[in-house]
Order: sequence, then structure tokens, then C-alpha cells
Amino acid sequence: MRTVIDSKKPAWITLAVALVFNTLLLSAQTSKHFDTSFVRVWLLASLGPFEKLVDAGVEGVENIWTGYIDLIHVHRDNEKLLAENGQLRMELSQKSEDALEIARLRQLMDLRARPIGKTVVARVIGKDPSQGGQNMTIDKGTKSGIGRDVTILTSDGVVGRVISSSDYFSVVQLITDSQSAVGFIVRSSRRLGILKGTGGAELEMVYIDDDNDIKQGDELITSGQDQIYPKGISLGTVLSVGPRQGNFKIVRIRPSVNFGHLEEVLCMTDHLPEVPTGQAP
Amino acid sequence: MKERITTYGLIGKFALSLIAVVVIQGILAYRIRVFEYFDMPLILSIYYGFTLGRPVPSVIIGTSIGLLQDSLSGVPMGTNGFSKTLIGYLAATAGSKFDVDLPVTRAIAIFLFTVGDGFIISLLGLMTGFAANSSYDLLWKWIVTGVFNAFLGMLMFGYHDRVTHAAS
Repeated sequence: MRTVIDSKKPAWITLAVALVFNTLLLSAQTSKHFDTSFVRVWLLASLGPFEKLVDAGVEGVENIWTGYIDLIHVHRDNEKLLAENGQLRMELSQKSEDALEIARLRQLMDLRARPIGKTVVARVIGKDPSQGGQNMTIDKGTKSGIGRDVTILTSDGVVGRVISSSDYFSVVQLITDSQSAVGFIVRSSRRLGILKGTGGAELEMVYIDDDNDIKQGDELITSGQDQIYPKGISLGTVLSVGPRQGNFKIVRIRPSVNFGHLEEVLCMTDHLPEVPTGQAP
Repeated sequence: MKERITTYGLIGKFALSLIAVVVIQGILAYRIRVFEYFDMPLILSIYYGFTLGRPVPSVIIGTSIGLLQDSLSGVPMGTNGFSKTLIGYLAATAGSKFDVDLPVTRAIAIFLFTVGDGFIISLLGLMTGFAANSSYDLLWKWIVTGVFNAFLGMLMFGYHDRVTHAAS
């Protein structure tokens, strides 16, 4: 190794070898004949434990702060939460009655309740270390049944999909990533379309012409037509319907999920064709 | 034998610092949002390029850190590897031929390397079909990251200078 580093040969030879190596790696990924995913999996498997270790350390410090030091408003918050809890209990009791009624009606109409598919809870342990990257790392991998294209969600809506997995770690592409595309339905009008990530905090509808009834505030859910995300999960709300630029209008969407505060996520390892939540009445 | 242990120790030290920087960048970008605007692996490539002033190890460090960064990203493997290789080489060449001890020179160099890194990554993205579809804020992002990196780089280089002077 010392001979390589201290080599008297011109440095451009090393540069050329390194650049050719990276170019070949890039080319191999655009070709369907070579599978280079093992390189990513191997590196992810090596980096994952370090990332989890550092994350656990940071979380420990945070827990000490929030659990012991930062307790100034706890009494006031406790009283407020108790009041809220009472109100929520009353609402829950009312909703339970509604649920029973829906179950009876389903039975009458011979409809089966469609449960959500099998899910695994994972913890977010890191974010994309590249400039402006929209990916994150979670602490579950193929050993937990998580592989490529597994849908990642929270109770608020769709987070993204898995793009690579090692045994114990996975990289998730957020729906805001510029390479991400999701099929949607407008909840009220049932109009179908495609949402793309912008690489920023928002999403954008594509191929929207003047002949549409999409308006600000419309809620969007997954359509299931992309064969990746199951139907009926909340995606976001229309933020603005811009003027026509070229052939199409610019329609911006605010995602349902706050990507800045993700800690735990659900991984749908075995999703069913449709998810009942968020479907149109 | 002792020389071999020293060499392995040196390689181990470099490897650990590369892993640490990529992992810390990922954790900090997730925990503290402002760190999304920093690119610590890039700063480390420039840092080693300037301080070692030897192109061969700088190229190896650039490739390794770039590939580690790619493994936690959505971009194709080799994107950051290619960019950081080139930047490591250019930083080492600049470090051996020019006086990069002046803080202003370093800050300008880090800024320019950051913009160059963004440009190379976008270009490779276009060539491989992984380009960002909306580039309206791309240049703005490079400039902001360049300013942030220049600031953090100054702190890192300043710390390095103090440690070096204290040792000598």
C-alpha cells in the first residue's frame, strides 16, 4: 500500500484509473446486463452499524435533555393534556358507535373489511449525505422482510419507497426526491394523474393542461396504478395551481407527511391491493 | 514490521475519518436541518488534498469518500465517487503548486469546488438519466452550500493550523 501511495509514477495514472472505475460503475448501473447493486448493499451494510451507533448516542443525549433537564412546562402541559384526553375519550366512544354501525352496514351490503397489509416499524437513523439529497436510512432490512419497492408510510401518509436494502438497513427514497413519481387520485373529483418530486419540500403534478378541475386545497391520495404504492393513502394537498407554462400548468402540492420530523415509519412488507383509510366515501 | 504497522495505522486512521464524516453528515442532516446545506465529505476531500498536497492519496481518499456517500444516497454508485476523485486531485495539485495557507484563498477554493461538485453531479445525473427534474433552484442551492462549506472549511482548516503549530 505504501508503494502505491508513495509511487513516483505520474499521479494522472491513478486519477485515470479512479475515474475509469467510477465511470464503469455508473455505466454498469444504466445497463441491464450487469447487476452492481451488491456494491451498494455491501457499503450500506458496512456503514449502517456506525450510523446506528452514532444515532443512538445522539438520541441518548437528547433523552437526557428532554427527560431530565428540559421539564419547565411539564405541569402546565400535563393539565392541558388531561383535559384533551377527556375530550378525546368522549369522541372515541362516539366513533366506536359509528364503527359498529359501519360494520353492520358492511355486513348488510356483503362487503368485507379490507385490513392494511403486513407492516414493520422501523426507525429513521440518518439522511442522505449528498447535496440536496432526498433519501433516508432506516434500521430494518431484508432480515425484516424489507426489500426494493416496499412502501414506507406514517399515520399522516406516504413517505416513500425502499430503493436498496442490506440485511439490517435500507435506503428510502422520499416522494419529494426528484426521481420519485407517484400515481394519485383527487379525493373529491376522482381525477387521476402523476405526482413528481421536486427535490425540495414540495411535489408537482405533471401533464396538467387547462382542461382540469383541480383547485387549491384539493386532497390527493395514491391511485395504486404505479404498482408500487397501494391505493388510498394520503399524499398531500394542492398548494397552488399556477398559470400554464408551455403545454402544461404548474400545480404544486404540500405533502401530508412532515419530512423534517420523521422518527419512526411503517414499512408495508406485504400490502394488499387497496387500503381502506382515505378512500372516497 | 514496525513500518508496516505504522502504514496500516495510517490507513486505518484515514478510513475511520472517512466513515465518521459520511455517518456524521447523515445524522446531522437528519437531526439539524441546517446541515443539509453542508457537504462535509467534500470539505474533507479538499482538506486532505490541501494538507497532504499529494495527488495519489488524495485521489484514493476522494474515490472512497464519494462511494461511501453514494451508498447512502439515491444517486447511482460512482456519481459522488467520480466528482470527489476529481476534486481530491485538483485540490492536491493546487495544494502542491500554490500557496493555500491564506484563509481567503481557502474559502474561495472551497466555494468554487462546491459549485464544481454540484455541476459535475448534475451533469452525470443528466448523462445517466437521474437528473433533478426542476433545476430552478439548483444554482441557488450550490451557492448557499458553497458559502456554508467555505465557512465550515475555514473552521476546520483553522483548527488544523492550530494543532500543527502546537505540535511544532
